[in-house]
Amino acid sequence: MAIVNPAAEAFAASDRAEPEAVEYPGERASWLQVAPLVVVLLLFFGLPMLVVLAVSFFDFSRTEIIPAFIFDNYIELFRSEVTLRLYASSLKFAAIVWAVTLVLGFNIAYFLVFHVRGLLFQIGLFLLCTVPFLTSNIIRMISWIPFLGRNGIFNQALQGAGVTSQPLEFLLFSDFAVIVAYVHLFTLFMVVPIFNSMARIDKSLLEAARDAGAGRFRVVAEVVWPLSRTGIALGSIFVVTLVMGDSFVVRTMSGGQSASVVSALQNEVAALQYPPAAASAVIMVIIVTLMVAGILRVVDVRKELAG
Amino acid sequence: MTRSSSEPKNKFSRRTLLKGAAAGGAVVATQGVGGFPTVWAQNTKDVTLVHAGGSYAAIKEIGDQATKDLGFKIVMQAITDDVQLNRSLTQPQTIDINNIDSTKLPYLLGKGAIAPIPVAKYKLWSETVPLFTKGAYPNGTMASTQGLAPIEAMFYADKDAKKLGGKPTEFLTMIPTIYNADTLGIRPDLVGGRDKITSWKDLLDPKFKGKTALVDYAPVGVMDVAMALESRGDFKYADKGNMTKDEIDKTIKIMIDLKKGGHFRSFWSTFDQSVNLMASGEVVVQSMWSPAVTAVRSRGIDCYYVPLKEGYRGWFVGLAPMAHLSGLKLDCAYEYMNWFNSGWQGGFIAKQGYYSAVPSTAKKFLTPEEWDYWYDGKPAAVDIKDPYGTLMEKKGSTRDGGAIWDRMGNIACWNTVMDEDRYLTRRWNEFVSS
Amino acid sequence: MHGDDTRPWTFYAFAAFFTLFVLFLYGPMIVIYILSFQGPNGGMTFPLNGVSLHWFSALVSQTRVGDIAGSFVRSIGLAAIVAVITVALSVLAGLAFRRRFRGSAFAFYLAIASLIMPGLFVGLGIALTFRLLGLPTEWFTTGLGAQLTWTLPFGLLIMFAVLGRFNRSYEEAAIDLGATNWQKVREVTLPILLPGIIGVALFGFTLSYDEIARTALAAGARNTLPLEIWAMTTNVTSPTLYAVGAVTTIVSFIVIILALGSIAIVQRRRAAAGMRTE
Repeated sequence: MAIVNPAAEAFAASDRAEPEAVEYPGERASWLQVAPLVVVLLLFFGLPMLVVLAVSFFDFSRTEIIPAFIFDNYIELFRSEVTLRLYASSLKFAAIVWAVTLVLGFNIAYFLVFHVRGLLFQIGLFLLCTVPFLTSNIIRMISWIPFLGRNGIFNQALQGAGVTSQPLEFLLFSDFAVIVAYVHLFTLFMVVPIFNSMARIDKSLLEAARDAGAGRFRVVAEVVWPLSRTGIALGSIFVVTLVMGDSFVVRTMSGGQSASVVSALQNEVAALQYPPAAASAVIMVIIVTLMVAGILRVVDVRKELAG
Repeated sequence: MTRSSSEPKNKFSRRTLLKGAAAGGAVVATQGVGGFPTVWAQNTKDVTLVHAGGSYAAIKEIGDQATKDLGFKIVMQAITDDVQLNRSLTQPQTIDINNIDSTKLPYLLGKGAIAPIPVAKYKLWSETVPLFTKGAYPNGTMASTQGLAPIEAMFYADKDAKKLGGKPTEFLTMIPTIYNADTLGIRPDLVGGRDKITSWKDLLDPKFKGKTALVDYAPVGVMDVAMALESRGDFKYADKGNMTKDEIDKTIKIMIDLKKGGHFRSFWSTFDQSVNLMASGEVVVQSMWSPAVTAVRSRGIDCYYVPLKEGYRGWFVGLAPMAHLSGLKLDCAYEYMNWFNSGWQGGFIAKQGYYSAVPSTAKKFLTPEEWDYWYDGKPAAVDIKDPYGTLMEKKGSTRDGGAIWDRMGNIACWNTVMDEDRYLTRRWNEFVSS
Repeated sequence: MHGDDTRPWTFYAFAAFFTLFVLFLYGPMIVIYILSFQGPNGGMTFPLNGVSLHWFSALVSQTRVGDIAGSFVRSIGLAAIVAVITVALSVLAGLAFRRRFRGSAFAFYLAIASLIMPGLFVGLGIALTFRLLGLPTEWFTTGLGAQLTWTLPFGLLIMFAVLGRFNRSYEEAAIDLGATNWQKVREVTLPILLPGIIGVALFGFTLSYDEIARTALAAGARNTLPLEIWAMTTNVTSPTLYAVGAVTTIVSFIVIILALGSIAIVQRRRAAAGMRTE
């Protein structure tokens, strides 16, 4: 991308003396800007991760963790059928939640960007959506029982309206409940990036498309959707990583009867079985990173940025 | 101030303590515990000890009272079991007094996290119930040793403090503080009466399909099912608290079948969930804790803690000083632990349904009516209130299960850590993912 | 936007959809609001056992509710610090990614991995690491660091969304008009990015405020609010928690109204100033 960019060049004027600067103009400046973030992450994430990685090769007995270098933990992980089931379960949740939040997120962002007039209103409605999140997650999780339970207000409302005659049991402590909770928690993570992407779309493009005779739906499908793809990709990354990394929601909403990779991991940590849990965590990070890389294949977010 | 010069003062004050305690009589709960502090107060006012543990023991009011009585500061930090265990090993210096559940003890042995307690330092040893000192009930019969029984957990083998002794020695793993007998709680109004459930096997009765709940913790959940299976006659376990791989396999297999058949409505991971499950009517039979039953009842909903035929599941917790304590701080730690069992805390905790390891001191901080109700299983002569003044039981009701030794004297097995812990975790994960 | 003033039918469709969504978001909250007025003997589920303000007063009188006040203050303070640091570091890093530079892939995937790694292990790893280093863990040092591993990746990715197709011509115009780099950043870049930056700040704040897994093992001997509440639920079941939820909502609404109000005032002033310079 050796495009002449006067701003960038002006910024990196001091680097002219170095030969690399021609290939990577402004690199020095970028390094300085990204350094604080990298330092913090290396200190509080990188180092600890090396420790976790080391532990994943340790041996262990019932109450001891024995420093060693063995692959047993990984081998057992790959051989076990439970691993497969856990991943299948987590991936299933991730896929469904992703699809639902995408539909919801896209429509809500569209509404906020294109139908709501005035910045104030946009911000106001947006903030309206964030208020529930200022109440601790735990408290909101507790409130699902009186909401969706056998004798909860939702069931009572349905029965009162005559829609059902018996309480619906599957509303709570089921896969359905887990998905509802995920959607409840994570839709906003989809809305925010898509909103940001959509807000940047030049309105004149839409007018041009309409002038060219495109119907409302086509305008959305062929203009808005592609131009929001950065936001969609980022939102997808958020949702997928959040679901794959969760143990609290799945445990609480399924009543401990649905599996997820991380909640199984948590059982092991609670029993102080660090090595296999560490191995499981390492594998999980690798797998989800690959998923993210896959999403980035489809939409190269960084290229969009640098372009 | 060195220890040796403070020792004579200690001895003097101890005599005063005993005199004070004898004259105590019916001390009202608002008064502090007399006779403390026994460590020279001048030095200690800058000492702060962090008492970390489950929120049933690490209660702010207790810490405040201790601070008042002892002259140095006690800070309570309520944390969950798994965090506590992990922190004890990875961040030991953030805890001073460790509130240990017996089942966590094997994980902490020999790791240099907690320090052994010489029996001599625990001033109330002779008044502690024989369950902990001898492994026997007051009437002389030995307590069950299925699971991790008190006699097995309380003592180190020797002063190296690396392994458990299994019989009384001079080195305690912890000072026993709180214990209770757990069983199934039911909703009599929804199952058709208190007498409808009398045996552990009723937990698995198809009548209650979709209306049962267990705790989401492998060692306990599996043991509850084992009690039910043994009672149903499926098979007999050598030690329900320490199952072999084969026994685990058989139990998990049945659990998976039950789960697929929709027998379990939920597994709860916090106390609060267990209360809500019961109070909302989501479940009618549940393995739960005593205060949870009282919590449900105080909402005006009928809940009964059933004294089942085969017996209870027992548990106990205690306090241990962390290994990094020394000198003045360690003295203060012993001081605090002794204070903990000297009555104020015991009286407070009793009103949540837990027993104190030294009932004689707790008695001084309970009104005679409260003692009768909570410990002697007699009908309540007045309305019974919880430590915060909320009404818990109306006059005339009796504690479910009766007196302390009706309940604690009928323990079928104790909460435990199994030898096959690793295998159990794996199979439990399998159960969840099936 | 649309030249005409009448709204198309799709507006109403979307508006209805949005309303349903907001109701969905607030569903559990409504339960919380109703049940926070529980009578003194009420529980955390229906039926409502009398109506009272008992649990609100319990909140302030500090009995039986653990250390809610203390942990609340800690949480708010921590969240504020986290928000500020997240904004500063994410904005900087986001700007960095506008150019190609060697090591950008490493930095990017470091952030992604930090996002993915279960919080439990980050907390555990930090606890172990600091133990090896012989340093203590406290809620305002390691607790802070642990939360940053969570908020920084979010902040960075949002900056990506904000900076995507950022129109450089504004910056170029500023340079052409003789602005120094610092002036350019302060007067052109940041104001355009401001809504996105506020978004990052909001994210950083709420993510930190709600964080449990990472903080639990890295917070040292004092709890943050979620940790305190979580520990409480293991022993106490009390509509006080619902009162907490209700109060938090009221406070947030007040803050929002104030914020919107001030934005409105600023906007009006700017418009007036704009007209004055004509």
